[in-house]
Amino acid sequence: MNANEIRDIVEKHPSDRGGLIAILEDIQAKYSYLPEDALRLLAEETGTSLVDIYGVATFYSLFSLTPRGKHLCSVCMGTACHVRGAPVIADEFSRQLQTDPGETSSDGEFTLDTVNCLGACAIGPVVVMDGHYFSNVDSGQVKRIIKKTRAGLDDAQIKKHMRHYLYDVNCSRCNHSLMDPDHPIDGAPSIRLTMSSERQHGWIRLSALYGSFTVESEFGIRTSTVLDVFCPHCHGELKSPTTCPLCAAPMVTLFIRSGGVLQICSRRGCKGHMLDLEGAGI
Amino acid sequence: MERLQVIEDFSSLQARLTADREPNIPVIVIPAGTCGQASGANDLIRVTKRELLDKGLTDKIHLRVTGCHGFCEAEPSVLIEPQGTFYPKVDAKQMVRIVQAVAADEVLEDLLFADPETGRGFYRYDKIPFFRNQQRSIMRMNQALDPIRIYTCIVSGGYGALQDVLANRSPYQALQEVKDSGLRGRGGAGFPTGLKWDLLAALPDEPAKILVCNADEGDPGAYMDRSILEGNPHSIIEGMLIAAYATGATEGVLYVRNEYPLAIKHLMIALRQCRELGLLGDDILGTGLRFDIELVRGAGAFVCGEETALIRSIEGKMGEPVQRPPFPVEKGINGRPTAINNVETWANIPLIFKLGAEEYAKVGTNGNTGTKIFSLVGKIKNTGLVEVPMGITIEKIVHDIGGGARGNGKIKAVQTGGPSGGCIPADRFDLPVDYDSLAKAGSIMGSGGMIVMDDNTCMVDVAKYFMNFLMDESCGKCFTCRKGTQRMYEILEDISNGKATLQDLDLLEELAHVVKDTTMCGLGQTASNPVLSTLRYFRDEYIEHIENQRCPAGVCKELVTYSINENCTGCGLCVTVCSEGAISGEKKGRHVIDVDKCIKCGSCRTVCNFDAIDVR
Amino acid sequence: MITLTINGLQTSVEKGTTLLEAASSLGFPIPTLCHMEGLSPYGACRLCMVEIGEGPRAKLVSSCTYPAQEGLKVRTASSRVLRARNMVIELLLASCPQSKTIQDIAAAHNIRRQRFRQEYEDCILCGLCVRMCEEQMMAKAIGFRGRGQNRTVGTPFDIKSDVCRLCGGCIYVCPTCQLRCTYTEPEKAICGGCANLAPPCVEKDQFDDMMCYMTPCVACEIEKD
Repeated sequence: MNANEIRDIVEKHPSDRGGLIAILEDIQAKYSYLPEDALRLLAEETGTSLVDIYGVATFYSLFSLTPRGKHLCSVCMGTACHVRGAPVIADEFSRQLQTDPGETSSDGEFTLDTVNCLGACAIGPVVVMDGHYFSNVDSGQVKRIIKKTRAGLDDAQIKKHMRHYLYDVNCSRCNHSLMDPDHPIDGAPSIRLTMSSERQHGWIRLSALYGSFTVESEFGIRTSTVLDVFCPHCHGELKSPTTCPLCAAPMVTLFIRSGGVLQICSRRGCKGHMLDLEGAGI
Repeated sequence: MERLQVIEDFSSLQARLTADREPNIPVIVIPAGTCGQASGANDLIRVTKRELLDKGLTDKIHLRVTGCHGFCEAEPSVLIEPQGTFYPKVDAKQMVRIVQAVAADEVLEDLLFADPETGRGFYRYDKIPFFRNQQRSIMRMNQALDPIRIYTCIVSGGYGALQDVLANRSPYQALQEVKDSGLRGRGGAGFPTGLKWDLLAALPDEPAKILVCNADEGDPGAYMDRSILEGNPHSIIEGMLIAAYATGATEGVLYVRNEYPLAIKHLMIALRQCRELGLLGDDILGTGLRFDIELVRGAGAFVCGEETALIRSIEGKMGEPVQRPPFPVEKGINGRPTAINNVETWANIPLIFKLGAEEYAKVGTNGNTGTKIFSLVGKIKNTGLVEVPMGITIEKIVHDIGGGARGNGKIKAVQTGGPSGGCIPADRFDLPVDYDSLAKAGSIMGSGGMIVMDDNTCMVDVAKYFMNFLMDESCGKCFTCRKGTQRMYEILEDISNGKATLQDLDLLEELAHVVKDTTMCGLGQTASNPVLSTLRYFRDEYIEHIENQRCPAGVCKELVTYSINENCTGCGLCVTVCSEGAISGEKKGRHVIDVDKCIKCGSCRTVCNFDAIDVR
Repeated sequence: MITLTINGLQTSVEKGTTLLEAASSLGFPIPTLCHMEGLSPYGACRLCMVEIGEGPRAKLVSSCTYPAQEGLKVRTASSRVLRARNMVIELLLASCPQSKTIQDIAAAHNIRRQRFRQEYEDCILCGLCVRMCEEQMMAKAIGFRGRGQNRTVGTPFDIKSDVCRLCGGCIYVCPTCQLRCTYTEPEKAICGGCANLAPPCVEKDQFDDMMCYMTPCVACEIEKD
């Protein structure tokens, strides 16, 4: 735990109402659980008594005071899932992972959680693994879900025949092609741009695979830095007047020759993007 | 996005967007709420974009990604506008064909939704019984707009009611309109919304008043709020803005449960776009109206759906309910006047002004106006969200819209109102769904969960399930709620294990009544409903468990044994899934289950294709 | 002033008075566990239920938290109240039979049996200790943790709290262990707890050195080993 990180989180939230729960949510998002030191520091920084913080941390089921596994597996126990057999699914996960609900497997890989309704009742029983939903799960699928998760859910997401490459991305100012066939990423020509940040200037290449967030760059960029992005041909800045729907950083506008506008967030690590096929959208 | 300075700016934006619309270009609409995405809608979107770009169709076919349309059973689905062609359960390969068919102005008959009786496909979505028998005034908006693109909302009428109110009505008139509509809170208790606003409006402007949207939809089995939050977050913002104008409130809070990541994302986007456009903030549309909304995420506690617990949670405390009076409208968040309404209530507000209170009140029955969205789930063929006028019978919902039982089961009850509600038996399906009728029958309207149960559902198990839920979700403050739910669970467990006596049943009933009487908040006061209503309508099932040690539905593990009947073909599928190695037999011969090894997990029954596993 | 009727008697009380206070001032007895003068009302034990309103709108409320309202009709011993109260006592006995306070309440209400599975819990989560610690001792060393069936009272992380001064106030107010400290009235001191000071709500070794409320606790002349 880093004291400055905690202070940053505290500062981000105004001290009036609601602050505490939001702060704890952010701390948990950062460390996957609420470390004791972090809560003590939080008490000091905010002037809230430790008893109150600890009470809140134990009251809400989102929070965990012990470190969680690499993967979080939530089995929905809502009524609809229950009548369709969710308890059997939970038991099966328990058996396969050799851990009880609420606990983390001994290898530290999986934390098994049962939750009271995820609101996806029509497609139950539902299991959410690291944010990926699995629907109509039966006990036979449990092994497969665990195997898939170990292999990495993000990679397995886009099946071959559903892949979509943006082959013809152009500069939104000079309309020059930005494709770089000499440096393929994800098995296809990449999109080349130049960027500057913190007085450094260099190239950056993006994957043209829609849904992939692979990026290569000339120098390392810290996560959540907002970049200035330019066209390597006309050197014009590609900043759009639109802001990222997720983080409010400016978007970078690119044209797709076959008809469409691609906007990507200029913040490193943010996955905000929009692909509008019929003009500029918003 | 350019900030709108005055009301006229909004009107001209709306006019410009409408003029830009090309009504003759077909639109492929793909619903991508949480359910849709879980079923594979994202793949369809990606494939559609690829096809449109590769085939150079971007100016001939448009694509709209929306929230949930309600027919979750058919997800991932595709709707083609303006023809209204509906394709259920589409996969990526079929999607390629669909794009081609739309380009050629053709219909793929083999992919249409087939009439379960005749087998013929429906050419328009609104001819399908599931949609035809509904009255979708709120859900319909979900298919009209892309929730993360505010212009698509404005062009389909979003914020039109706000503009009308700001331009043409006084706050008093706006308030009166809501009162006249007869709208009652959709969160469960059915308190008249206009009256609540009236109480708030009557208070002085200092200290500043707060409006809250309660989006802590915790009832297991209910998810209509999630679909509105995801599919049309603007309807909630617009509703709150109108209330701000009518009551003089200046601050808003949206309390969303953390289990709804997509809803939170869409709300954040919607709020940001509204601020950029000048629909939230100071001097909205140049009218002097000041209002902004803050998004607060819950952290997983069912009890926070209760008003006073919700307030404590927003204040950053443990979600413990406190004594009412004083009511939140007098003393709410940080002691300031606070009016709390549920998501669906807020979404109804713009509708009232679009239709006019008089027209709005024509829907439904006297004292129960408007429509209500139910989430129809469980052992039913057409699971999904159904919007119907209040006062319609359960029968109509379950059979005409829901299509009856799923599989071979026979429907025996519906559970309404979640853990606070109760079970209504099949012979009372002629009951109209409104606040008062359901309460009289021992259940409640609740937020709108409707879980269908068939003869494979054990009512003791259902009561036990809810008690287990409640003893974990009770805040634990009131002794009788905390201990009462534990004790009720204990007795129910004894019953399901065949260890209870008839005296225990009496004690259960006596305790249930006392828990109802002696607890402070709504959670405790309704915690007994699952027990009391199942006792009222399914007492014979309880007695069967106690006297004959038999679970008629074959659910209570301690009372059933698994065996294999003569239907067995010896395929061996069950042997592969049995984790305990309890099944054996010759290939192609009838298998047997070793009852000592069997843990009654039900895996064999799930996989058996020949209905050969008996549970008795 | 607010005028209300309690058991048919009309009375006037100051605004902000609770029904419990109003009834007590008229001499109507209402049993309580989690209520104590000097501590804020909490409403956890549900023993002090009274019936208000009439007809189908009649309901039970906890008198310790419910504010007196103009024209309210209150019944402190209707059959509905008694039925609820008896069940609450039964539930208390089922969970915490060893508490002298609870035994006394049961005896006073003629409850001689309980029909649930017998438990022996140390704490009924009445919250007196939590409020004592916060409101009278200004310490906030202990508080509630968890929710529902997992709710407990204790210090954060179950280790010695930096702000606890070992004042013993929590033990003093505890209805399930208070008799451990009544050595001054030997006839009441039935548990000999002073010799084995293990306050249930803070039962961790860091409190080994804790004195009972009436220090020094050796005064009760029971040897500590």
